[in-house]
Amino acid sequence: MQEFRNASHKWGKITLGIAILISFALPIYISFVMGYHPGFSLILNSFLAYAAVVAIVWFLEPIMYFPVLGVSGTYVAFFTGNISNMCLPAVASCQEAVGVKPGTDEGEIIGTLGISAASLVNKIILIPVILGGLWLLTVIPESVQEVFPFVLPAIFGAVLAQFAGKFPLYGVLALVIGILINAAPIPLFTKNVLCIIILVGIMLLIGKIRNKDNTASE
Amino acid sequence: MTGMDFANSPVVWTFAGAIIVLVIFQAIKFLSLSKKAARDVGISETDIKRAVKTGSITAIGPSIGIIIVAVSLISLIGNPLTMMRIGVIGSAPIESMGAQLSAQSAGVTLAGDGFSPEIFNLVVWTLCIGGAGWMIFTFFATPYLSRIQTKLTSKPKGEYLMGIVASGAMIAVFGSLTGAEMIKGAPYIFTAIVAIISSLTFNYIANKKGINWLKEWSLGFSILISLVAVYFFI
Repeated sequence: MQEFRNASHKWGKITLGIAILISFALPIYISFVMGYHPGFSLILNSFLAYAAVVAIVWFLEPIMYFPVLGVSGTYVAFFTGNISNMCLPAVASCQEAVGVKPGTDEGEIIGTLGISAASLVNKIILIPVILGGLWLLTVIPESVQEVFPFVLPAIFGAVLAQFAGKFPLYGVLALVIGILINAAPIPLFTKNVLCIIILVGIMLLIGKIRNKDNTASE
Repeated sequence: MTGMDFANSPVVWTFAGAIIVLVIFQAIKFLSLSKKAARDVGISETDIKRAVKTGSITAIGPSIGIIIVAVSLISLIGNPLTMMRIGVIGSAPIESMGAQLSAQSAGVTLAGDGFSPEIFNLVVWTLCIGGAGWMIFTFFATPYLSRIQTKLTSKPKGEYLMGIVASGAMIAVFGSLTGAEMIKGAPYIFTAIVAIISSLTFNYIANKKGINWLKEWSLGFSILISLVAVYFFI
């Protein structure tokens, strides 16, 4: 397992490192080699407007999902993207199909197998779509396109149920907490984290009470 | 040259192609790394195959789901930048918002009048650095997160704690995500409930009768059924 962790760090850092370089190289190349420079004050303004919305998520998401994804899963998920709608469901259904527990070594390995496969399939579907581009929208009937916004609730609900099967009480509780917190007027980025803290807190509390009961009855 | 012509020029295609090749390479690399690790800890070949198959099936629904946003983004920022931003970390809705914000701060509209190569590059700066945010944090923080995890699990109660946090975090996040969708209105509630019921039913049947292939398809089927149901609902 240690060998796998080390290899994951090595290849995770190599691939992410090159990806970061490419991300910076493109705008620098267009600005200073080709000469289409918009000016740094504009770049800063525009970047700050964008960062104001997402910057906090850069830190929260990798930390929040780490217990689920593990070392290897984190490197893959935070490069390929589509974390909540693809990577986490992939981990969940793989662990369920094989029958391993999340947060264990086996869980991490099975999860990474699933995410890597998911990442490949995602690119295989996405590349022709983007090459085909606008033509595609003229082919898919409009009535079918109307269903597309509902893909998200369908995925999220199905994944939630996958867990609720094993912990029905926590599943219902999570949904109730989720609805209440999302209806509350608090900043968007705090919502998922808050739900995690509340639910994990309740689970630990219930676990403690049950433990006490066990020791008292012994 | 307009910004839109430039957006589809060979230079942008080259960089976008490079990052897509890299993300595919990473997936293949980690597939082989985790296969090897699976064999080392004694996971059977059948289970390895099952995990790969389940992951692949699970990816189909979400990948098709982002097509519409991806395609609408193409009309705003061109094909290669869309590929570069949707193909790696960053989500279609966030990228559309980022592109919009960049154009706004320059006082022009995307793909409209005044969308020059310079403005296109402004969008590139914003979206590329924005997307790199996750990667930079992951690059530096993962070793530390790993150390914290190792320390936790080495304690006697640690393993139990890790399990609770991992499954609790997962249930909580999906409760929150489902909740956020449900408060959007009746068809959303309907879709989510159909998905929950189908998923529960498939997993129940699969476990009861020991049908393993059904477990692999359960998520895919559930998504499909709820989409067909909502098609007739709206």
